[in-house]
Amino acid sequence: MDFEPRIIGFLCNWCTYAGADLAGTSRIQYPPNMRPIRVMCSGSVDSVYILRALLEGADGVFIGGCHPGDCHYVSGNYKTRRRMVLFNSIMRSLGLDQGRVLLRWISAAEGKKFADTVTEFTERLKKLGPNPFKNLWEV
Amino acid sequence: MLLIRVRERDPEQTLRDIFANWLKQGKIAALLLPAVSRTGVTAPALISDPGKMDRASPLLPVMAVNAAKAIAEIAATGSPDVKLGVVLRPCEMRAVVELSKLQQVARENLILIGVDCPGTYKPERVESEVRDFNEFVRSFLTDQNRFLDDKKFRTACQMCEFPVPLVYDLTIGYLGLDPLEHLLITSASETANLLLDGLEASLLSFQPKQRLEYLSRLTQTRRQNAETKIAELDRVALGPENLVRYFANCLNCHNCMKVCPVCYCRQCFFDSEVFEKELDDYVRNSRRKGLARMPAGTMLYHLTRMNHMMTSCVQCGICEESCPVGIGLSVLYKKVSRNAQAEFDYVSGRSLTEPLPLATFREDEFKKIGEE
Repeated sequence: MDFEPRIIGFLCNWCTYAGADLAGTSRIQYPPNMRPIRVMCSGSVDSVYILRALLEGADGVFIGGCHPGDCHYVSGNYKTRRRMVLFNSIMRSLGLDQGRVLLRWISAAEGKKFADTVTEFTERLKKLGPNPFKNLWEV
Repeated sequence: MLLIRVRERDPEQTLRDIFANWLKQGKIAALLLPAVSRTGVTAPALISDPGKMDRASPLLPVMAVNAAKAIAEIAATGSPDVKLGVVLRPCEMRAVVELSKLQQVARENLILIGVDCPGTYKPERVESEVRDFNEFVRSFLTDQNRFLDDKKFRTACQMCEFPVPLVYDLTIGYLGLDPLEHLLITSASETANLLLDGLEASLLSFQPKQRLEYLSRLTQTRRQNAETKIAELDRVALGPENLVRYFANCLNCHNCMKVCPVCYCRQCFFDSEVFEKELDDYVRNSRRKGLARMPAGTMLYHLTRMNHMMTSCVQCGICEESCPVGIGLSVLYKKVSRNAQAEFDYVSGRSLTEPLPLATFREDEFKKIGEE
């Protein structure tokens, strides 16, 4: 059987979640591999949520936020961006940086971009294979 | 800069006399500094009675806790009239700077007195061996070539690039000098000048050349040590499986968090209700992979902790000293925090005004993130 990656998606309420809605109402087809979780702001996604998903066996984590400058709370996504820089740096330092975490800015008008992003990320994870933590029970 | 004369070739006694005078004259309410008990136990102590100053050991090369943790407890909230002197090693000072930016200490009540530090020992290493602490410190101070690469120093100290304090009201320096003859005093504030008022000293307009040379040799050695130890770490700890093995013996005691000077939350997320799980949760967790390690969640704890405080980590290595199973946290945090801080051109504890990386942002930075 083909490997179907499981992606946990954290979508900002004001932009990316609405973008996902638009992809649906526009009947755009994209892989069903992502489990979306609506959050009020990408800035509210603490690293602990990303890490927990990865350690418990999710193959990828997607975070969707408003484009820089468009945050409903003015600066939430700028903080997301810095936190992502930190997260990536730590993962690199530990040899855990496998490209399993993706942050992308997708507006409420970008249904197509949302569908394309999920498609692209799913393909990337299929190539990467299952998350090694899936079989590491001793974490 | 001032050069003060050491009396009777006893630098610690010279300092004790100065400190005791500050207390007698009411210039400070109390002084926090390393102390040794009659039974030979070393710990930071808050001294308010000048008569008890004989217990103080301001230059003691033993570190059981990061004193910044004590300051966060003593001076969490300010008080208008109290001036508290705190004698701190560079890593402790850097932690206080971080805590001050995190609004966890009342900076205005503190007089920051920094001392040179070429490295420290674990308490258990000296407490059983040393009879006469005065003599121990004195011989330690005179044998400065040994500091360059003493393998008995705590692991974090062997990699430390900060032998002198960066932020301070006042510093006491002896590295690269003859501390049985002179101590170098630097003042950086009005408060400090008031303390120094009336002190017999000669004025110095620049740092002695042999001191600068010694410090540069010391930091160079430490950088090399850090590189060597990080290379060793990379051989055993990188990647999911190796990292899991590195943390394999973790007991989930959270000591590393409790002793961490910059882990400032009053209630740690990992000690909160979120992690109070019930039978059903454990069974569900086990079913996910078929079996689950107990105690659960140790890896999540360590990785999240790194994400929460690596930008403020001062690499004091006290976490490692407190680890009951001896996980090599010093070198791990050295690598991870150094890389993380470099992303933001930040150095923890370098400046009181430089904003914390995660408490600030610029619109025109990291443009690639979120676009790739």
